[in-house]
Amino acid sequence: MKTVDIVERIEGEAKLVCSWKENKISDARIEFLNFRGFEYILQNKPILDSLVYTPRICGICGQAHLKATVEALENIYENVNEALVITNKAKLLREIGLNIEIIDSHIKWFYMFIMPDIAKLSNDIKYNKYEPLKGSLWLNASRVASETIKAIAIIGGQWPHTSYMIPGGVMSDPTLFDLTSMQNYLEQAIIFFENTLGGIDFEEYLAFSNMEDFLKTNGSLIDFKNIAFKNNLEKIGKAYDSHIVLGSSSLFESGKIKIKNISKIDSSKISESSINTFKVNISKKENEYTWSKTALYANEFYETGPLSRALISNRKFIKTIHKEYQDSVFTRVLARMDELAHLLYTTKKLISKVDTSEPSFIKPKYSLNDIETAIGSSFIEASRGSLSHKVEVSKGLIKTYDVITPTVWNLGPGIKDKYGVAQKAIVGLDSISKAEIVLRSFDICSVCTTH
Amino acid sequence: MIRHKPKVVWIQAITCNGNTHSLLSSNYSRFELFLNSFDFFYHPSLTTQNSLEDVFSLKEIDFLLIEGAISSNKEFYSISNNDTLSLLEKLANKSKYIICVGSCASYGGVHAKFEENKQIKGVSDYLISWNLEKIKHPIINLTGCPVHPEWILQTLFSLKQRETIALDENKRPKEIYYGLAHHGCTRNEYFEWKVEAKSFGVKEGCLFYEQGCRAPMTHSNCNRILWNDVNSKTRAGMPCIGCTEFDFPRNNMLETKKNIGIPMDVPLGINKRAYLTLTGVAKTFKIDRLNKKLIE
Ligand code: SF4
Ligand code: SF4
Repeated sequence: MKTVDIVERIEGEAKLVCSWKENKISDARIEFLNFRGFEYILQNKPILDSLVYTPRICGICGQAHLKATVEALENIYENVNEALVITNKAKLLREIGLNIEIIDSHIKWFYMFIMPDIAKLSNDIKYNKYEPLKGSLWLNASRVASETIKAIAIIGGQWPHTSYMIPGGVMSDPTLFDLTSMQNYLEQAIIFFENTLGGIDFEEYLAFSNMEDFLKTNGSLIDFKNIAFKNNLEKIGKAYDSHIVLGSSSLFESGKIKIKNISKIDSSKISESSINTFKVNISKKENEYTWSKTALYANEFYETGPLSRALISNRKFIKTIHKEYQDSVFTRVLARMDELAHLLYTTKKLISKVDTSEPSFIKPKYSLNDIETAIGSSFIEASRGSLSHKVEVSKGLIKTYDVITPTVWNLGPGIKDKYGVAQKAIVGLDSISKAEIVLRSFDICSVCTTH
Repeated sequence: MIRHKPKVVWIQAITCNGNTHSLLSSNYSRFELFLNSFDFFYHPSLTTQNSLEDVFSLKEIDFLLIEGAISSNKEFYSISNNDTLSLLEKLANKSKYIICVGSCASYGGVHAKFEENKQIKGVSDYLISWNLEKIKHPIINLTGCPVHPEWILQTLFSLKQRETIALDENKRPKEIYYGLAHHGCTRNEYFEWKVEAKSFGVKEGCLFYEQGCRAPMTHSNCNRILWNDVNSKTRAGMPCIGCTEFDFPRNNMLETKKNIGIPMDVPLGINKRAYLTLTGVAKTFKIDRLNKKLIE
């Protein structure tokens, strides 16, 4: 038997095709059927225009693409031995902008993309508060998300789709009062965390180290936990439990974990395969079923995202939860929400470190257009995990542009006899609604996956 | 009080979902009023009550909002097994108002640059020759990449109240697009006195001369109805890239094309000679205040 389900209410749409044997999923294909061709669009465009194009790969994580582009372009300067000086202020304003976007994305993901489905698993009317467009918590979350994102608009002019980062620094020059306002907007999210999401004092939450601590809370996270445990979500959704983090920042360390050993990354081991991927303007072969490619490290599958980051950065609370419940749906979702709390804390601190007397931008000595040919690349931690960009330029134009999004790591097709990460987490389940929740736990963005 | 709530259906075609996130970033009390005043029947990433099938079986849709460009090519893009053109076909005939949300839906936008898929266009490029049964108003384009959320809300509320609104020659509401993005920029004084921003990353100076600011040639009100209630790109220091105009995205958006040191394109409707003369005169004055840091 085969079932085909369209998964909506993600960023874009995906198709989940499952084969069944004895009431269990014996094979699963995650099909992404939408392709917009950004890597093609970027070819032959003026180099700096990439700063305008790549944020438009994705409406929810545009700042991650912007930061990846600007750092890939700066890497070109480095590769021709003309490394630019980027002030600490500019570095901070970039990281702050990206963090705010991740905060906004995590809030929306939990209340708009995960909780409506989780709440549906229970018939208890007390969970009506999670109902889209109507429920009090849905509305409250959407209010807080639109409040929080104002903090980016202060340094970027608007969100979504600003391109305020440029090789040499950032384009804006906030005043001290601007920075205070930004902190105020984040404060709103912290209050929301205390009153609604976490239901516990913020500082107290950050000191959590185990499940007993967590059980003291009284917010949406506990609602999630209660429904999750009733439905065994702490037991399902397990994939390889190998993790990769390619970027690093004040909160995240790069690295990978395989069979519990953390080790350094050698970026030359990253590869992209398109064995099961459609090709542009070539009629499809039988085995090709998706526009997503496959991302591998040393020919192995790795999961990326907030759970991977929590483990590699050694965040205590999530490490103990993971020890108990491994890479289950429960751990994955909780890790993302835990990251939200840590990002709020870190980002507020980063804002207070900005020294307004420093320059925002130092003009590069010469233009990228003067470089004959060169290559640059970058690794960023975006909302859903590691994002890499690689650009090759020649005589003022982009020759090739390659993007590997986090969702390609997590949701790309398996190859040969090996399942992709999400595939592996789905095979063996006994219901389609569970399979959908497992899929959702990876935070699907079909828009990014195929770009 | 029983109020009639017009049905709103939002569909996504070839898009980055940026307009959806723009809507979700709107002023919250405005958004709440919208949810109270309209029946937001379907949005692929937000609603759970109704599916696309439910939308197909509706007899009538009051407001059809389309995010994203349209193509008849199903190999590259399909939504619930439909290519985006047949999705549009199925819904346009039932709709009283059709609103293109964003530059992609209006004319293809960024996505039309994917030349391997030759059929990517805007909604009206396809609909122009159709005979739409229920339509009560010419198609409306809300250009912008993304669209400003307040433009969506104002358009919906105005249509609900007045049934018809005035459009410009590009089918955009005149009330939004009559002015230029330049109107209301905090750098206007620098523009008047031709004081350029010395580089990126400063509060002082105008971005028209070096950084590529297109606001004097771009119809929109980004500097009057601020983004996220707090700012605009040009106020912050990022040049306007002209995302509401039909030639977006252009080439070299972050620099000013010049001819012997003078911007090639001059503000909309201004005669080039007049502009040059004025520039010459303005530049002869060196105004201290405009050449100093705003905050010492
Ligand atoms: S920066 Fe742009 S919008 Fe602002 S005054 Fe100069 S030209 Fe006008
Ligand atoms: S300022 Fe210009 S580029 Fe920015 S949103 Fe407005 S019209 Fe678009």
